[in-house]
Amino acid sequence: MLNDRKASELVTKSLRRTLTDALTDEESDALEKNLTDSKELEAFAKLSHKIQISAVEIATLAEHGDVTIGPGLSGEARDRLKDSICAVQSGDVPLSDAEQRLDSQEHKNPLKRTTLLPSDSAQPWPQQMVAEQGIPYQVTDDARIGESRFTIIRPLGKGGLGNVWLARDERLKRNVAIKELNAEALQSEKSWQRFRREAEITGLLEHPSIVPLYQYSFDKSTGEQFYAMRFVGKRTLADAIIEHHERIRLGERDDAGLGLHRLLSIFLDICQAIAYAHSRGVIHRDLKPENVALDNFGQVIVLDWGLAKLSEEGELVNHLSRESNIADKALAQTVDGEVIGTPLYMAPEQASGDLDHVDERTDVYGLGGILFSILTGCAPHETSSELVQSSLKEVLKLITENRSPEPSDYAQSVPRELEAICIKSMAFKSYLRYDQVSHLADAVELWMAGQSEKKSRYENLRMEGRELRADLQSSIRDLETNARFMSRLPPIQELITAQADQEIAVWRERLTTIYTGLLTAKSDYQTIAYCKIEAGVCTEVVRVERHSTDHSNIRPVPRSRLRKVKTNQFLDTVMQQKPEEVLTSLVCDADCEPQDNCFGDDDVHLVAAVPVYDQNTEEPYGVVLIDCDIDRVMRRQVSEHATASEIIIACDIHHVMMRSHFGHVVEDSISKTVAEETPHFCQAVEVLQNHLEFIDETNTEIYGARLWLNSNRHGLMYLLRSGRNKAHP
Amino acid sequence: MSNNPSTATDLQATVIPPEQWVDQYGDYLYRYAYSRLRDANASEEVLQETFLAGIRYAHQYAGKGSQRGWLLGILKRKIIDYVRMRAKHAQSRSYEDETDPSLQLFDAQGNWKTAAFRWSPQPDEQIQEVEFRQIVESCLDELPETQRAVFQKSVMDEKDSEEICKELNITPSNLWVRMHRARLGLAKCVETKWLNEKEELGHVE
Repeated sequence: MLNDRKASELVTKSLRRTLTDALTDEESDALEKNLTDSKELEAFAKLSHKIQISAVEIATLAEHGDVTIGPGLSGEARDRLKDSICAVQSGDVPLSDAEQRLDSQEHKNPLKRTTLLPSDSAQPWPQQMVAEQGIPYQVTDDARIGESRFTIIRPLGKGGLGNVWLARDERLKRNVAIKELNAEALQSEKSWQRFRREAEITGLLEHPSIVPLYQYSFDKSTGEQFYAMRFVGKRTLADAIIEHHERIRLGERDDAGLGLHRLLSIFLDICQAIAYAHSRGVIHRDLKPENVALDNFGQVIVLDWGLAKLSEEGELVNHLSRESNIADKALAQTVDGEVIGTPLYMAPEQASGDLDHVDERTDVYGLGGILFSILTGCAPHETSSELVQSSLKEVLKLITENRSPEPSDYAQSVPRELEAICIKSMAFKSYLRYDQVSHLADAVELWMAGQSEKKSRYENLRMEGRELRADLQSSIRDLETNARFMSRLPPIQELITAQADQEIAVWRERLTTIYTGLLTAKSDYQTIAYCKIEAGVCTEVVRVERHSTDHSNIRPVPRSRLRKVKTNQFLDTVMQQKPEEVLTSLVCDADCEPQDNCFGDDDVHLVAAVPVYDQNTEEPYGVVLIDCDIDRVMRRQVSEHATASEIIIACDIHHVMMRSHFGHVVEDSISKTVAEETPHFCQAVEVLQNHLEFIDETNTEIYGARLWLNSNRHGLMYLLRSGRNKAHP
Repeated sequence: MSNNPSTATDLQATVIPPEQWVDQYGDYLYRYAYSRLRDANASEEVLQETFLAGIRYAHQYAGKGSQRGWLLGILKRKIIDYVRMRAKHAQSRSYEDETDPSLQLFDAQGNWKTAAFRWSPQPDEQIQEVEFRQIVESCLDELPETQRAVFQKSVMDEKDSEEICKELNITPSNLWVRMHRARLGLAKCVETKWLNEKEELGHVE
């Protein structure tokens, strides 16, 4: 007795129709016996017999042209066949070429032969889908709805090969981006291959900055391949670069430094992604700002791996050959001499189609192109006059024959060190470029770190400038407080009412004692005086002064040496103040004129004055003046703040009142104008006319701070410059 | 010649220019190709090759027999070439064993598993030939390529084993294994689809 498997084999054999395959007598007997005993065998035999009859019938009907057998030609297939015949008949395509093309497709392009795939792969191609389902082979947006888990929402963009759509994943309730070939690319077999390769390469590259692929599949309605990936928004690095340079153009300089820093951070992320791809044997070959998406949360995504080249030594090429349906390794490479990529960002070796020399350094060039774009706001070669109205061929010729462009040829204010990095990345000869992407990233990172240090130094400079201003403000407040206090002392009113000489002498002595004490305590105060103002004449009542050269010598001025001068504008203003209202101003020494009338070679003093009112009559009687030696204050200030390489203290009319170099006063600069002496501060001076601060975002070198005196009518400005070298100015 | 105008007219009618081949013979040849290849894409391609070959060798068509029959002859040759190429490519893939229906139907001792086959139409059950044929066609579509090629050449084209082995570049034992698997797979597929259809009809009734 045969087992069932053996018996079924005999059934198969018995169904052969040729005599040579007939069963032997023993086999026939054994089969007969099994058929009697096994219902399954009997069912199998009967069914197989009937299938055989039916199959023969199908073959016969097909030969006789029965229309119930199989599908007929679809409209699309019919058109394609007609087109090919017409092309040959009309002579547009030589017959041999048409045959060769078919032949090459057949043998070299297993991709098109989707039926060669294992049946479980179930990957229908457009023509097959059309023939099987009779659906017109065309792209319709609505066709995917209901046929797939994705519902198309709106188009996102168009590329060289494909279109990208925003779609809704109905199962996972999330938005995704769907990429599919465009109508033109659909006609190209190579485009199909590249699209699939793109999907596979993207899927195999798992990196935070490489777009994650969710699904690669076929549209049920059209048979078109598509892949779904994370929707990262429409904003690309190109948009960010345009925005950055637009801000600079509009003068929003506050953002400029920060914007460049952000763009360079993005650039570093791109470098990391490309370095990872290189480690897996993938060369992107189409690096440009448009192929870098930026999501709303700062993530950087490198897109469009459709033109990627696989290194033969890389591990990925093995994955593709084994796991994908592109069995032919040759398909993993582009044809020699073929030019692919984006011309303006193309490395010379790429533009010349010399694919043997396309390697990781070709991507280094592409990254250099992105850096170029970040620095200048335009693509390499973009504004070259030679390229205007040039054909693609001419553009490529120019790239292969001319030196690479340099950022400073295209834009001003390009940081020198960054430009050097960019030039090295885009060196005409690939061996002169960075060997690896990581080296390029390191160079940029180092520059950014240097910038951070520079920023930090600049922050210190700002702090220093603000401290200087705050220090002077504090001195002025102190001066005003003292002036006010000095005007409230009992001898002030007693001297108004005292008539007898003896009485006056007593009160003068008491006041002199107090004033002497104040000058002793305050080394910056030069003079303190109590004056009577009457009929346009200022008569000193008490005056204590410090010796002009011997600062420790504080002396009361004898009554016989007290001055009697005509009042000036400053004193008249003081007399118009209310009681205890202090007026502080920079004045010239000689006649206490306000600074804007007498600045030149005269000494400038900071004077605080308070009107004194007669308590009996409540009429203004005189003033108490304290004269502060501003030069002494400034010298002390600049000597204490030696961080800045240069400090200028200037008055309203831009005369230099004090200039120091690393804490040392530069004497011959005083009383010259800022423009004459230090033109690099001119921009800051201009800004400080209307602002309290000048912040140098571009070069982070200059800081300016403004101090207003006398109800904002007059004031001082501090100008500081950072720097490491102690070279003489 | 002029005494027999109808014959001349018929002869002229059978010779049509290549521009009209698609409309005149396209469906017929395509159906034939599809009945053998079960692949729309492949069928279209062999048809295209047939037409191009027809243009190239048009001068060889002597007018004996119909032009359609002449093109069918070319098509058959193209199908053989195609199947041979496809078989060659399929050989490089080793998924053949993955589609052995024996594993589903027999246990380790080679005996039928429970309910391996239940095919037993009731005596009063009328088997609709067209319906059955459609099921067979759909099951042919589902058959692995390597098995289908053997089945088609053996059953539908009635070729002998030696010829099939030569065309597909396989050994006789290999052919035998494929043939048996094809029959098992087809039988199981047709039985399942047939029973499902009957079941659905029963529900409807």
